[in-house]
Amino acid sequence: MEEGGVNVIDLTQADESFVKELEALGADELRECIQCGKCGATCPMALAGLEFFIKRIVHAANLGLRDILLEDSSVWGCQSCNRCVEICPMDVKPYELIQAIRRAAMKVESCPANTYEGLRNLYRFGHAVYPKGYEERRKKAGLPEKPPTAISYDELRKKYQEILRNTILEEIAPFPLD
Amino acid sequence: MKKIGFFLGCNIPFNRPDVEYSARYLLNELGYEIVELEGATCCPAFGTMPSLDLVGWAAASAWNLTIAEEKGVDIVTGCGSCYGSLNEARHHMEKHPEVKEQVNKILSKVGKEYKGTVKVWNFINFLYEDVGLEKLKSKIKHNLNGLKCAVQTGCHNLWPSKAYPTNEDNTFFPTRLREICEAMGGVAPHYSTITDCCGMGALRSTASEKSLNLFKKKLDVIKEEIDPDITVMGCSSCLLQFDAGQALLVEQKKLNYKIPALHIVQLAAIAMGADPEKATVLASIPLNGVITKIKGGN
Repeated sequence: MEEGGVNVIDLTQADESFVKELEALGADELRECIQCGKCGATCPMALAGLEFFIKRIVHAANLGLRDILLEDSSVWGCQSCNRCVEICPMDVKPYELIQAIRRAAMKVESCPANTYEGLRNLYRFGHAVYPKGYEERRKKAGLPEKPPTAISYDELRKKYQEILRNTILEEIAPFPLD
Repeated sequence: MKKIGFFLGCNIPFNRPDVEYSARYLLNELGYEIVELEGATCCPAFGTMPSLDLVGWAAASAWNLTIAEEKGVDIVTGCGSCYGSLNEARHHMEKHPEVKEQVNKILSKVGKEYKGTVKVWNFINFLYEDVGLEKLKSKIKHNLNGLKCAVQTGCHNLWPSKAYPTNEDNTFFPTRLREICEAMGGVAPHYSTITDCCGMGALRSTASEKSLNLFKKKLDVIKEEIDPDITVMGCSSCLLQFDAGQALLVEQKKLNYKIPALHIVQLAAIAMGADPEKATVLASIPLNGVITKIKGGN
């Protein structure tokens, strides 16, 4: 078990302003949580053995434990499966809290390297997943080397990039948007 | 002829284009005109724009949705994440007019407008409702001949149900993919971990070993309870885990059996006469026995 993290709850670190920040970032029903644990019981992260599973994340968020939440990597291991949203009896929408924590983390550049890679691929190619050697794989399947997506249409891809440049990506992308 | 926009996403055209081949074959056989969504991008994946903010996510999704809107078609996708991200973005914009308004302000810079008229299907619901099981049956050239299928619907194809225009009667007891396999002549029993996550996705990227262990738990239950000829996916990410992920477990000597895995569009395309070689050319787990069994039936 890793030291620290959410296993040590230090209430002197509780920060009401972080609860408000998370609410503003999409976790607007956060305070409805009654810690019943249904979300944790259906969460793949918990089944897979990640220690900081969803029930504890909601708890820490309600206490405003900013540092713990922004430093912990498990919010980036969330599958976005929405089982927790489906099953929560208080409509807390725990998954939307995960997104809110990620959004707060992105603002202070606290996210895993593969997140940046996905974002960079999304901006450059229009595809977050853009693996090498796909042309060969497509030929094997009897398809044209490139799919009819943004990767085949430079002008359309540029328009898509313009859209992304008009979002928050412009402010927080750690790579040039050119 | 009915038209449908085929949304490719990323994993299908780049990692498993044999699924794209199969989907195209299937839609043609079923009498649909495939409308290409030129310039479509990533849905966007949950770890990208959705993790930055809601308006950015919705704007990126709306780019894709407007391509279909402009062509006057609905969308079908073989990827669970695409199905989830596009539908959730659509749902957020429907629920929060102020988000839609901000999105349209952004889209207007490239001369586009999001109206909200497009329906986004996954292949399970598309085959089940738009095509229908009777029509599906009537198009089968090679009956599945009792092929035993363990189905994997996939998380995003089920939840959050509020975001989806159609769904299972009970999302924690899905039957549609089983019914589709059975309509084609297969046998598709329920099993106790049928709704469990395959572990692909952010979990696999963040904690690879834990993700594969989670997947192995599910596979072991499938093997013990059903011992199927094949596993059948409703989602391309699940396919990557069930096929390449399974091959990895075998290579690491953590698994001592192999169960072939196909996306439902691959299985259906083969049943409708597609060249099995082309339809499954990128599969890591050998399929020989499965194809022989299908070809043996009629």
